[in-house]
Amino acid sequence: MKRLILLVVVLALMITAVGCTSSGDHLAAIKEAGKVVVGTSADYPPFEFVDEAGVTTGFDVELMNEIGKRMGVTIEWVDMPFDSLIAAVQEGKIDMSIAAFNYDEERDKTVDFTDAYYTTEDSFIVLEGFASDLSDPMELANYTVGAQSGTVQDSWITDNLVTPGLLPETKYLRYERVDQAALDLQAGRIEVLMADYVPAQAIVSQFGGMTIVFHGVLSTGPLNIVIPEGDKDLQEEINRILKELQADGFVDALAMKYFAE
Amino acid sequence: MDIASFLQYIATGTAYTIGVTLIALPTGLLLGTLLALLNVYSGRAVKWLTSFYSTAMRGIPPIVLLFILYFIVSGGINLSPFWAGSISLGIVSSAYQMEIVRGAILSVSGGQMMAARAVGMSKNQAIRNVILPQTLRLAIPPWSNEAAIVIKDSSLVYALGVPEILRRAQLISASTQQPFLAYAAAAAIYFVLVFITNRFLDRLERRLRIPANP
Repeated sequence: MKRLILLVVVLALMITAVGCTSSGDHLAAIKEAGKVVVGTSADYPPFEFVDEAGVTTGFDVELMNEIGKRMGVTIEWVDMPFDSLIAAVQEGKIDMSIAAFNYDEERDKTVDFTDAYYTTEDSFIVLEGFASDLSDPMELANYTVGAQSGTVQDSWITDNLVTPGLLPETKYLRYERVDQAALDLQAGRIEVLMADYVPAQAIVSQFGGMTIVFHGVLSTGPLNIVIPEGDKDLQEEINRILKELQADGFVDALAMKYFAE
Repeated sequence: MDIASFLQYIATGTAYTIGVTLIALPTGLLLGTLLALLNVYSGRAVKWLTSFYSTAMRGIPPIVLLFILYFIVSGGINLSPFWAGSISLGIVSSAYQMEIVRGAILSVSGGQMMAARAVGMSKNQAIRNVILPQTLRLAIPPWSNEAAIVIKDSSLVYALGVPEILRRAQLISASTQQPFLAYAAAAAIYFVLVFITNRFLDRLERRLRIPANP
């Protein structure tokens, strides 16, 4: 019996030793395996969500797939609740995680972040000749406001204006698509349309008679990919590819696709 | 997303729920039976250890144990969330199943053991041929309760990223903004699974009942 216990302990130690890889050759190990395990929490449209066909997609998902393509590896997606993701990266259960994470000092103690892959800038679109420049975003409470439902702008208005009772529910209209909201702005049904800055610029040039009075970071800010603590090689590789993707317009095209339609 | 593909997506998770249950329940039964036998028939030290195991495991919420087992114990061993979750749930359940089997052992009258020993059986033979066959039959009704609990607790593995019924309902709820419909569908599937399992175990219990036993 004693010998049996000893055997079990030795085996357990061996398996544990094999399972640990030092972070130095993490990138090499990923490239050799030809796949990278990426965690996300597919309950946050439009960044990551399940589409009609039951497939995980979204801004983050398409971006990561392209990063994988340029790294020469395939992506194995793992879905888990948002609050399990950091722990999973820390424990090496997944190689990295993309889930609309913001840089955060607390989180930085246990994991590392890549450069920002996108900065959600919010903007207010109004008809030309609008009375205010809305430099104080809270001024929005004085107008009839529109936004696309399920977006970060929708959450921002709901959390900062509607829930505290500053903006009555009847003066806030949620639209399924941002262009429907633009049509209502044109028709005068809403006075201010809050939208992501990338599609907002497209709307203004497309519709005419409109202008952006304010843009800045209100809702989520810069988004980063979470990687294991101290994994410099992986960090450099991803930062390099992110620069490429930003330079050749891939990121902006993706933003148009997911934050406007 | 139309209702049909929406429900189908959630229902696909049923395979995971059944898989997790089919691993967790037998794991718990095997461990639980062993622990119960050790608890009843061993010396004081083993009795104390097994009692401590049972008290400790039953005193911690299953979800906490699940995280401990998944993130700490399997930190080095590369177990998939599915296997880690299923085995962890089995370990959680083993403490409850141990108490069920222990109760059933104690309800078999002590005279039977003495009688078996008197006709020349060893203690192990007596346990195997006299005590256990009766014990396991007696344990079916309380055990069917535990089976229902394990089916329902299998929803906890969603926290590890296993795409079972509950996790799928969450994802659908997020993408369609229809939480009520999504969770109602999940509830209906769990209910059907538990209902079928309990009916099956009721029938099994009636079939295996020893006529002399009331």
